[in-house]
Amino acid sequence: MMELIQLRNVLKSYQAGVQQVDAVRGVNLQIKAGEFAALAGPSGSGKTTLLNLIGGLDQASAGQVIVEGCNLAECSSVELADFRLQRIGFIFQSFNLIPVLTARENAEFVLMLRKVPAEKRHARIDILFQQLGISGLEQRRPMELSGGQQQRVAVARAMAAEPAVVLADEPTANLDSETATDLLFLMQQLNREQGTTFLFSSHDPKVIGLADRVVNLKDGRIVE
Amino acid sequence: MSLFRLAWYNLWRNRRRTWITLVALAFSIMLVQTSHNLSTGVYSQMIESGVRAGSGHMTIYRSNYLETRDEKLGFDPQAFIHQLKSMEAVETVLPRIYLGGLAQSSRESRGIVLSGIDPALEQSINPILKRLPAASQLPDTISRKALVGDRLLEELQLKKGSKFVVTLQDRQGEMVSELLRVHAVVHSGIRHLDRSLVMIGRQRAAALAGMPDEVHELALIMKNGVKDIPADEIEALLPANQELNLYFWDEAMTNLANAIKLDYASQQFMFLIILLIVTIGVVNTLLMAVMERTREFGTILALGARASVLHQMLFLEALILGGLGLLIGTFFGSLATWYLVEKGIDLQNWIAGELEFGGVVFDPVMRAVWEPLWMLKIGIYVISLCFLASLYPAYRAGKIVPAESMRK
Repeated sequence: MMELIQLRNVLKSYQAGVQQVDAVRGVNLQIKAGEFAALAGPSGSGKTTLLNLIGGLDQASAGQVIVEGCNLAECSSVELADFRLQRIGFIFQSFNLIPVLTARENAEFVLMLRKVPAEKRHARIDILFQQLGISGLEQRRPMELSGGQQQRVAVARAMAAEPAVVLADEPTANLDSETATDLLFLMQQLNREQGTTFLFSSHDPKVIGLADRVVNLKDGRIVE
Repeated sequence: MSLFRLAWYNLWRNRRRTWITLVALAFSIMLVQTSHNLSTGVYSQMIESGVRAGSGHMTIYRSNYLETRDEKLGFDPQAFIHQLKSMEAVETVLPRIYLGGLAQSSRESRGIVLSGIDPALEQSINPILKRLPAASQLPDTISRKALVGDRLLEELQLKKGSKFVVTLQDRQGEMVSELLRVHAVVHSGIRHLDRSLVMIGRQRAAALAGMPDEVHELALIMKNGVKDIPADEIEALLPANQELNLYFWDEAMTNLANAIKLDYASQQFMFLIILLIVTIGVVNTLLMAVMERTREFGTILALGARASVLHQMLFLEALILGGLGLLIGTFFGSLATWYLVEKGIDLQNWIAGELEFGGVVFDPVMRAVWEPLWMLKIGIYVISLCFLASLYPAYRAGKIVPAESMRK
């Protein structure tokens, strides 16, 4: 398998008031296409920062973040937006669904941004909703869905445009353990069936245990 | 689902705030449209009253007469007056003579302006004469009967039927006098006019001034008012050797024209302030919406939207807000205009006495006119202002950094 994501000596520092915080310190990491990998570590270990760097939401202070051969440091903000739209699917800890849209409209959102015709969008979302077990909830708004249902809609949104990689930041943190395990199984199933690369972060050992590969982080560094 | 739909949903997230902004927007549009339609109607009334009592929609004078009021600058209109009268656009042509002089009773004397008119023509046009009963109208152009302003009558201590003497300088510079009799009293409502006005038949006035067949002013009353005046055709009829000039009403009645211009300008300024205040309201609504949705905008950007998508969404929200405000405002503005066109506002209920503006007494019932083009223009202004109001919130939305916004 070819390497989809390469991180070469990546460093990310923030300025918090007068203090400089090094969130990621010299990380080297390769993720192959089709992997189902987890970033594990306690809070503040740099998991979210690393996912943001890979997803082009943030720029590294030093080092290189290369996704599908593209060095993200060399991309303009418009190119990064296009890169995220075409190649990345995001799942967030607190779902981040748009409250005024229905479940279907939320899931179709990325397809709408990609100007996919309505019929194709509907067909794609129908399949995903079926796979994720949320058929029949299409017209409900996020407020009318449980946490697990909302996160499944978020997974459908991330998968809708068939991205090269899905980045999930603590996707199960706001779910009970049963729902969390179910969601992880569904993500795993999509990984197996569609070959989509998944990289997710968690500090829950039960969730981490389902990953094919685990990358442990501590204080911004990869630890064995 | 489209951006338009999303913008629509977004607007109704905070219904109360959106409704308050909409009501403010609609109310100001209604106010601006209705006041404009009303003032345009009132201006038209004033112009019509003014031109009919005064210089007409168009006026012909000798060169420099308007500036100097030199009584020697008369002209003979016989060569072209019939052609003017036969023009399709012309309702009537009023020849007039104006002479400055002194009126004396047995007790008092006062400076006057002696107007020589054609009573039969003026009675149907001039609002001052229209109010008089038939028996009080001047019988012909040669009699000694005179119409006298009510204040002048009082100051000269005269009454109806009294005799008085008018003295003035004729064309040769000789002092000439004429004995006249008060036939009726006129009241224009304009103080200086009521203190100086004496109207007699034109032939009598011309003979007195030693300028038979001449006039100082030819006032043209047009069938369509100030619209579509064939000035070029009229000008072509004027003989070149008489040094005649053609004036539009606003050149001949500069007081009225300037008063209207000033009033209109101050009104436009008020409109601008009203619309600016409403624009600030729209900016506030959109800015609040941006601040409340920082995290959501961050998510949208994270999902791969360019900043331009957020810009478009906010432009759409502003345009929907403006469009709805415009629809509601225009609906109520039209209702109010319809009422003011049909019924009007009778100012006599609130203000006693004559209503004078720019030297013209106008009808106390103020009526609006329909100005659809102007209403459309307001619509374009409002939509443009809403678009401008969305620029800063859109700029702020575009500056959101996804990673930072989601950390909040």
